[in-house]
Amino acid sequence: MAKEECKALLDALNKATACYHHLVLTVGGSADSQNLREELQKTRQKAQELAVAIRARLTAPLRDRGLGAEERAEFERLWVAFSGCLDLLEADMRRALTLGTEFPLNKPLRPLVRTGVEGGAANVAARALSARSLRHEAERGFDVEDLHQLEREILQVGEMIHDMEMKVNVPRWTVQARQAAGAELLARPSADVSSMRGVSVEQRTGPCDLSKALAATIFSAVLLAAVALAVCVAKLS
Amino acid sequence: MAAGPASHGGHPRAQKPHLSKMERMVVSMQDPDQGVKMRSQRLLITVIPHAVTGNDVMEWLIHKYCITEEEALHLGTLLVRHGYLYPLRDPCHLELRLDETPYRFQTPYFWMSTLWPAAELDYAIYLAKKNIRKRGGLFDHEKEHYDQLHRKISHTWDLVVMQAREQLWAAKQRRKGDRLVIACQEQTYWLVNRPPPGVPSVLEQGPERNSCTAGRVQMTVDFYRREVECLRKALGRARVKSSVCLEAYLKFSSQRGPHDPIMSGCLPSNPWVTDNDTYWAMNAPSAAVPTRLRVEQWAFSFRELLEDPVGRAHFMDFLRKEFSAENLSFWEACEELRHGGQAQVPALVDAVYQQFLAPGAARWVNIDSRTMERTLVGLGRPHRHVLDDAQLHIYMLMKKDSYPRFLKSDLYKDLLAEAVVPPETKRRVFPFMRKPRHSSPSPALLPASASREPSGGDGEA
Repeated sequence: MAKEECKALLDALNKATACYHHLVLTVGGSADSQNLREELQKTRQKAQELAVAIRARLTAPLRDRGLGAEERAEFERLWVAFSGCLDLLEADMRRALTLGTEFPLNKPLRPLVRTGVEGGAANVAARALSARSLRHEAERGFDVEDLHQLEREILQVGEMIHDMEMKVNVPRWTVQARQAAGAELLARPSADVSSMRGVSVEQRTGPCDLSKALAATIFSAVLLAAVALAVCVAKLS
Repeated sequence: MAAGPASHGGHPRAQKPHLSKMERMVVSMQDPDQGVKMRSQRLLITVIPHAVTGNDVMEWLIHKYCITEEEALHLGTLLVRHGYLYPLRDPCHLELRLDETPYRFQTPYFWMSTLWPAAELDYAIYLAKKNIRKRGGLFDHEKEHYDQLHRKISHTWDLVVMQAREQLWAAKQRRKGDRLVIACQEQTYWLVNRPPPGVPSVLEQGPERNSCTAGRVQMTVDFYRREVECLRKALGRARVKSSVCLEAYLKFSSQRGPHDPIMSGCLPSNPWVTDNDTYWAMNAPSAAVPTRLRVEQWAFSFRELLEDPVGRAHFMDFLRKEFSAENLSFWEACEELRHGGQAQVPALVDAVYQQFLAPGAARWVNIDSRTMERTLVGLGRPHRHVLDDAQLHIYMLMKKDSYPRFLKSDLYKDLLAEAVVPPETKRRVFPFMRKPRHSSPSPALLPASASREPSGGDGEA
């Protein structure tokens, strides 16, 4: 059904936007590198493809006057979520452009801000692209060309948003969202591929669970060793 | 939202140059050779690099800019308050401490200049994320904001929830140390942009001022001509020396000091405090017996005397004794002309002329010839200011002649002696046992008995 397809695509776009946001957070910081810029490019291109696809799927039903009220409401809800997502994406792309120009890589006069973030974000980008892993193929001057491309893409996205506003008239304030306040506290059955990669679904309350588990195992190992030694000593004496 | 950062364009930057200065400072702190000394932060298992202590920051600032300790502390505090540096141990208190407390630099994405003003959708997503992470453990003000946002942007709430979940999943793909750092960064950003109640917001700007550079004036010949004219007029204005002004001001204050109800208290008692309106009754414009302070005020200037109806009446009595009452009557008639209705002006002018100014008038006033000529000419076309010159002449005459005599007369001295000095209401010993206050009658009700408050001040003692 068209609606299910649209929903799936919207979820994918949502994921890509969230991952893109997460990646842009680290531009200019200590984790900035050519790899990061490449990941940014791949993520945003994927997001744009998805956006074009969703737009094609959603415009037709919404321009159809003969659609029933229920159906129309459903499509309008999707539309509002889609345009919100696209707005977020465009804003993040603009910020990426400003940050990328301010913090060019390979320029020793302008050091990156040491923010404490060190690791790579390959997994994040892989999640956005729904792939298992990501290969980096960037050359040295990648970020400079990328900035030009980014500018062009920002303009494209801007035009797309403008087109959308012109073609489809959905008054935002009449749309009723399905989720109520506090809906995020209810657990959601997640059905995407990458989550089955072994990450457990349990919510962690504190940041120290892993370290606590590790400390517990070490302690028990030491205890066992001590007991064994004591038994040996007792046997020998 | 998308329109936000773009449409503001250069405007917020132009208005906040201090932000770009701070950012330059932060970037120069990152220099590997000459920047601030970096340490590592050790949590239980994870080690996160790039921590600085307050002391290091201070020393670097003092060394680099050659400033005093006080100034360096102030600068450092500014950096922390604007969110460019955040403390690791006590994240809710953004201040620079001069000991070993660790700080870390904020990522450029969350700098004030990149991401300002903070968007509501972003805040909603952040609160939703925090809700998920802490299972509903938001602060009170955050809960309020959450509800407000839900009312405002309820149509995009689907997006908010979806994005919040996805952003958390994306964060989980990172190493633990990175995840912690990013969470701290976001928290700091929102602490600066949506401060908890009681914390002053650094983003408050004062009222919009029209900056001079805003409207560029064309420096044409016309502009300069106007400027020259304006300055010439300014030169020609009469100026009073401040010594003279201040002397007059001091004299005024010392003379009026004892008469002012706020500075010197009012007798019998302040109606707003004790609910007793004797003070107002005694000082009403048409009170039968004036208070002593009021009578003393008539001696300050002639204008005071004329403005007080009781004073004017007594002055009229005095003038009658001196057979110059027509001056005051003429003056009053001229006042009436000046402030009266437009339709009555011609008739009134005529009446005044007949009564006071005509050659054989009943109450002829003594005006000098030049003024009389001018007035007669003006009477041909009567308007409300046609008798102004004559009125002024009579006023000055009364002021110079009759007024000093009035002040020295027996009439005035008797008035002073007879004037009432209301006694002060005795302070109650138990101040909390006040008279129960009556609510004022609603103006919609008919004004019933006016003697709602019969008891005077003395009855309270």
